[in-house]
Amino acid sequence: MRWILALAVALAAGLGALYGLTDGFTVLTAEAARRQDVARNPRPIPAVQVLYGDGRIQSLNQDLRRDGRIAIVNFFYTRCLSLCLVQGSLTERLQRAIVEHGLQDRIRLISISFDPRERPSDLSRYAVRMNADPAVWQFLSFAQPAQRDAALDLFGITVVPAPLGEFEHNAAFHIVTPDGRLARVLDLDDPGLALLAAKDEAERGLVPAGAVPGEPERRAGEGRT
Amino acid sequence: MRCASRAVWAWGLGALVCLGFAVGLRAPLTALMSLHMLVQIPLLVLAGVCAEQAWRACRPESEPDARPRPAWSFNEYGVPGLLLVSLVGAGWMVPKALDDALTDWRVAAFKYLGLPVCGWVLRASLRRSNVVIKLFFLGNFCWMSAIVGMIYLDQPIRLCNAYLQDDQDWSGRGLIALAIALPSCWLLAELKPVWRFLNR
Repeated sequence: MRWILALAVALAAGLGALYGLTDGFTVLTAEAARRQDVARNPRPIPAVQVLYGDGRIQSLNQDLRRDGRIAIVNFFYTRCLSLCLVQGSLTERLQRAIVEHGLQDRIRLISISFDPRERPSDLSRYAVRMNADPAVWQFLSFAQPAQRDAALDLFGITVVPAPLGEFEHNAAFHIVTPDGRLARVLDLDDPGLALLAAKDEAERGLVPAGAVPGEPERRAGEGRT
Repeated sequence: MRCASRAVWAWGLGALVCLGFAVGLRAPLTALMSLHMLVQIPLLVLAGVCAEQAWRACRPESEPDARPRPAWSFNEYGVPGLLLVSLVGAGWMVPKALDDALTDWRVAAFKYLGLPVCGWVLRASLRRSNVVIKLFFLGNFCWMSAIVGMIYLDQPIRLCNAYLQDDQDWSGRGLIALAIALPSCWLLAELKPVWRFLNR
């Protein structure tokens, strides 16, 4: 019965490969895998210099630490005509919710542009267009290309050039702690969930990496509020 | 070793051309999801298929007699081999596999080395199997490909981080076309055995 053995080996090899590929039959896309991996193992953000709308350049980690608030980060570019506009209006709603709930001293919003052509004036003009309250919502871009690539790589953002000078990119809300860790990645469709996760993170304060519970528990938490 | 030289050269050349195109043109071929999925990956499998043909052409007389009854081999009727190839085929329809093949060297290695091996196993298994078994695995692959193609077409969001939405739609259309073309070609190629089986 050698062929039964061969059949078992083929089945084990094939299913094993599928198991490895899909993180144990839990994810089908690289985006889902990224979110799951961040929730399990929060990632420290590399040193990166960012450019502000007023022209100054500072280290992002320093800014995070000095500010002390939990940041909900997303990525965009100012010339975008599609996804970023949706993302922008969702973030604007998030800004309104933060102010309404009086969370602006614990949670803030950061939008980071990955477009190397961005100038400070582009950022400040975009902020006005988005009705951003500068105390709650900042617009930044990367000051150095090499650091930009490292940061995008850590966040797991893939930017693909598209026709008409546009970019396509995976968009989400990224919860970043003041000590410079990417703690969670949440879907763009559910800003409420992102706010809840940020609030959780703010209440938790500085927790050791790995103590962040997974997605299902957060979803249960959503029902409570 | 004396080979049926012309066939060996032809198949060997075919294998090298397939592999050469798939590896040499990997930058343009992986730039689009549709080319990655429907051209590069099939070329790699085809390279394995051609290599097996060339190898087989090298050992002419001994094999044909043993073919009708491949007494207890490891690959009885080709079922274990076809099962493995089916599972690998399913794996390459997962969007994460295409993304990972660009970023994870292990997945890339599996693509460039594993797929030709799968092509070899596929051809060797098809040799041993009969019409019913071929029909089962082909049917299985085709409905899977058609369903995945429809899912790709249907998705309002991008499934691969590295590829554009339009391209995802084209991959979906391509997979559906594959699900139609593959059984049609097979039917044309194996009209006689199928006809014989139906009129038994």
